[in-house]
Amino acid sequence: MTQATRSEAQQRADEIRVFRREADRLQRAGVLELSAAQAAAVAEYHRALLAGYAQRFDIDQDVKAGQLSLGMRVASLLGALALAASVLFLFYQFWGGLPTAVQVGLLVCAALGSFIATLWLQGRDHSGYFTKLAALLAFVCFVLNVVMLGQIFNITPSDQALLAWAAYALLLAYSCDLRLLLAAGILCVIAYISARTGTWSGMYWLSFGERPENFLPAALLLFIVPSLLHRRRFAEFLPIYRVFGLLTALLPVLVLSHWGGASYLDLDNSVIEGGYQLFGFALSASAIWLGARRGWPEVINTGITFFVIFLYTKLYDWCWEIMPKYLFFLVVGLLAVLILLILKRLRTASLSSGGAR
Amino acid sequence: MIAWSRRRTLIAGALLIIAVNVFALAGVAYNRSGEPTSILHLSERELQLPYGRVSSKENSGVSLSLVWRVRRGNDADGADYGAYGGAADWLDQAKLAALGFDVGSDTARRKFKPWRSKEVLLVLEFDGPAYRQALARAQQSADDEEKLQLANPGNQEFERRAKRARDNAKREASDSSRLFVVDAGLDAAALRAQYPDPTHTLIVRGQVRPQRATRDRQDSLRGHIAALSIAPINVPLQFQPALKPPAAAAKTGSFSATVAFGRRLEPWLVALAETARRK
Repeated sequence: MTQATRSEAQQRADEIRVFRREADRLQRAGVLELSAAQAAAVAEYHRALLAGYAQRFDIDQDVKAGQLSLGMRVASLLGALALAASVLFLFYQFWGGLPTAVQVGLLVCAALGSFIATLWLQGRDHSGYFTKLAALLAFVCFVLNVVMLGQIFNITPSDQALLAWAAYALLLAYSCDLRLLLAAGILCVIAYISARTGTWSGMYWLSFGERPENFLPAALLLFIVPSLLHRRRFAEFLPIYRVFGLLTALLPVLVLSHWGGASYLDLDNSVIEGGYQLFGFALSASAIWLGARRGWPEVINTGITFFVIFLYTKLYDWCWEIMPKYLFFLVVGLLAVLILLILKRLRTASLSSGGAR
Repeated sequence: MIAWSRRRTLIAGALLIIAVNVFALAGVAYNRSGEPTSILHLSERELQLPYGRVSSKENSGVSLSLVWRVRRGNDADGADYGAYGGAADWLDQAKLAALGFDVGSDTARRKFKPWRSKEVLLVLEFDGPAYRQALARAQQSADDEEKLQLANPGNQEFERRAKRARDNAKREASDSSRLFVVDAGLDAAALRAQYPDPTHTLIVRGQVRPQRATRDRQDSLRGHIAALSIAPINVPLQFQPALKPPAAAAKTGSFSATVAFGRRLEPWLVALAETARRK
């Protein structure tokens, strides 16, 4: 793992910790007997590995450090958001009193300066918290740069800005190993592809949200393309792509299953809504199946969440008015038990196939 | 994935930032190169601070929004302001079809399937026949209400109506915007050939959406002009003194502005001067 990222190093450190605990238990139970030389060799190998990780990535070496680190992650996220807001308001507060050339110069310098500062900080901040803060600030400076150029020179709003923001956010995410920036980049990609899809169908680009089907090509691309590009490096980014891909498909389907008028399809609204309800069930069930088969917990959880939402909204449509409330909630409860049983069966099947392998 | 060194990341990021800025500024330079496609001499009647921006303490920037109206048919009442868009009688089914809307597949279920906005080119006429028609209509309405009031002395309802019509005519003559959307199309050159005067007509992008209108129990399709696609016009620092204090000037009206529109149909402020304040 010569090219390990911080999250990969942290994962390996956690696995070593678990391994040590289990090896200790096995030794005490008399199941495993390591010679003094073997035990020393393993301990020395792990010590050197962890020391290397600690030096390069400032990973959490025990549970207490992990708990503190969670607090630091929250603090760095909140700090990053607050600093980003501060930069926005600072510029808005004073930009009107500056000549145009100074405005443009400031915007470009802020974008370039914050980007260089992020990379400089990345080389010194092994924990990654300050890098995350600086990277989000750099992204906001670039967004501000583009938005303000538009305002200063009265440029007609264009979806091409989304493409530039996406490229920049993804560059920061991959170079600094930051999921927050990855999420920002993915959102820009979703907006850009959906806007393009809407434009190709003749809509004004900013109205792309009015046709939920515009999001479906983006969902498909997000779900498939990253899996083909990422092999071992940045494997921890793949679940984020998959969750965004699923959300980008399932949310529009949920909307269309209740609002057929928003569809491109030239059919009766009731037909469209019924079709999308079926599609929603099929899609979320397929996600559960695929997640169970490939060992993608995030896909299983997203699939289950939407399957339950589709089921309950349908149940509400059919039964809320005609059933006594105690019976309605009884049916809801029984359905939850049924889902639990199906998932238990899936889990058992998955365990037995894993054992067989 | 390729493992990028920090140096490569630095080069890629810096190039991206510079390229985006160069691209945007080159677009601005292109827009402003050559002769403007339109150059209008407007006043506070057509340019106002955007709603909610008058007393903003958090944003020191100053910008002006175009106040536009929609030319209505001869039998229509009044004229729409652009803040919330406006429906135009001249933007009928045939015109909508020419703009690329699929209005032929209109069926009963279409009532429940609204059309979406489409970006087209809009022709705005400044201080032309559309404005004179609106002015004449307001004056005619004031005269008619005056006659009704005289025919019904002591009737408070007619007095109120006459006063409202007089105020409306006065506002139309001195306060209301003289900028009217009068036509729409897809080809800028064809529209310019049809409306050749760049000092009184303006071609900009805007959003149109068909909507159903019912008059005398007759259903028909009309185009609703939802918005212009141009951003509020930024007021550079050197022009801001003409608007000081911004709130007062924008409310009472006391400036004249020359606004040019370039090759990309994007505007910029060429001149802004304070004029004698009206009472």
